[in-house]
Amino acid sequence: MFSRLSYTFREMWASLRRNLTLTLAAIITSSVSLLLFGLTLLIQQGFENQLSQWEGGVEMIVYVENDASPAQLDVVNQALGSTPDVIDVAKLRYLDIPASIAEAQRLFAGDPETLQLLNEQNIPTQFKVVPVAGTSPELLTQLAANFDTLPKVMRVTFPSDQIKVLDSLSGFIGVRLYLITGFLLVSAVLLIWNTIRTAMFARRREIEVMKLVGATNWFIRLPFMLEGLLQGLVGGVLASGLMLLFNANWTSGVQDFPSESGFGAFVVTGGYPLWIVFWIILLGMLVGAIGSGTAATRFLDV
Amino acid sequence: MIKLENVTKSYSTEVTALQDASFDVAKAEFVFLVGPSGSGKSTLLRLMNREEKPEKGEVWVAGRNINEMPDAKVPHLRRNIGNIFQDYKLLPNKTVFENVAFALEVIGRPKHVIRQQVPAVLDLVGLAGKQERFPHQLSGGEQQRVSIARAFVNRPLILLADEPTGNLDPSTGEGIMRLLDRINKTGTTVVMATHDQRIVNMMRKRVIQLDRGIIVRDQARGVYE
Repeated sequence: MFSRLSYTFREMWASLRRNLTLTLAAIITSSVSLLLFGLTLLIQQGFENQLSQWEGGVEMIVYVENDASPAQLDVVNQALGSTPDVIDVAKLRYLDIPASIAEAQRLFAGDPETLQLLNEQNIPTQFKVVPVAGTSPELLTQLAANFDTLPKVMRVTFPSDQIKVLDSLSGFIGVRLYLITGFLLVSAVLLIWNTIRTAMFARRREIEVMKLVGATNWFIRLPFMLEGLLQGLVGGVLASGLMLLFNANWTSGVQDFPSESGFGAFVVTGGYPLWIVFWIILLGMLVGAIGSGTAATRFLDV
Repeated sequence: MIKLENVTKSYSTEVTALQDASFDVAKAEFVFLVGPSGSGKSTLLRLMNREEKPEKGEVWVAGRNINEMPDAKVPHLRRNIGNIFQDYKLLPNKTVFENVAFALEVIGRPKHVIRQQVPAVLDLVGLAGKQERFPHQLSGGEQQRVSIARAFVNRPLILLADEPTGNLDPSTGEGIMRLLDRINKTGTTVVMATHDQRIVNMMRKRVIQLDRGIIVRDQARGVYE
């Protein structure tokens, strides 16, 4: 068992060194495509952060003072529910203090100074209002003027034009980035496939002898498959490193932007970047396994 | 040890490599396959090694019908069959020792077995002091000895040799034949394809003669005709 493992790894290493330029090309291509994949996820998450307060068709937010009593909250809730022909009552949501803090952490991820000012004692709670389909913005604005006068209501806000642009931009950019990522991943698979094919061609006599003396197909394939897997893995690790570096630079750079620029929400922190790293590496290994696995099976007959 | 029953093999509708071939080879027998180029000698060897499958008929090796053998079992069949070629098929970047050890290594034999068996077989083929040389540092005859050592190191039941003396001068070829004879005397069945008339006449072993895929002669202690 040990001698087989030692043979497999020795041959894999020898083949990697023998095809160094092709190996590097495959690693670079896979890392570029995986980096793009990671950045796409980051950008999408940035958009989601920015748009999170307006997600689910929310067109109006009613902010209520932090110290509003349950009875006062109920007055606001009943007022909002009293116009079912304008407001979709089933979709009316109330974000209490913990939920509002969680949302603020996403929105002000890149603006720690603002975030520091918000706490459980001062953060306003909020009602998220989804209008009935077809409601005109003017009607909603008129209604908002009534809600504004209710006790403990701080203010009523609507999505700005900037938010509406971001919403459509999110879909536009996301789809195209995923498409480019897809093309690059396919080219990475093909490049790894070609690298393994070249490696097998270079060792065709060896493979022929191996088959004749009774080596199993799996024994012959395994070093080649591991070679491709390693190329994908290294590409994934490289892409992850670059993606984390980019994210760290962006996070520190955004702090110098003005608060009202809105870029603070484009910062992705917490466990999400590590979750992306996990997917990048997994996808890298998958790309390597598909490329090398198909080549090692296809070109084994010598 | 080997049995062919009405075996037919063709590579296209026009080319029939072998037609209705039947014969038995007993354990420890030495058999020459003779005939002109394209007569089907190499095809016969490839059928015995399951590199090819016949259209019709059955090929039995060591008591098993190898046509019906699942592909996954073929490597295990080949561990009982050694192959020797006219062009040696040595790996140029490996030493003599490594070339022979390779055959054991790729079937998972442990290192201590390799360290024991390789020098023994190199001694048997007369290459005891040359194990660190590379193929290009050896003569043709020596390279063929390495090839025989690689084929025999796993002590197979059968040796299949395809024109093993084809690239060698007569005296070197005789040396190779003496070596194959010695291996045959250890109980290994040897089937050798050749059109080296001198060798066949010198050895006086069983001769199966082929002509355009048909067995035209099967003679014990035969000569080349």
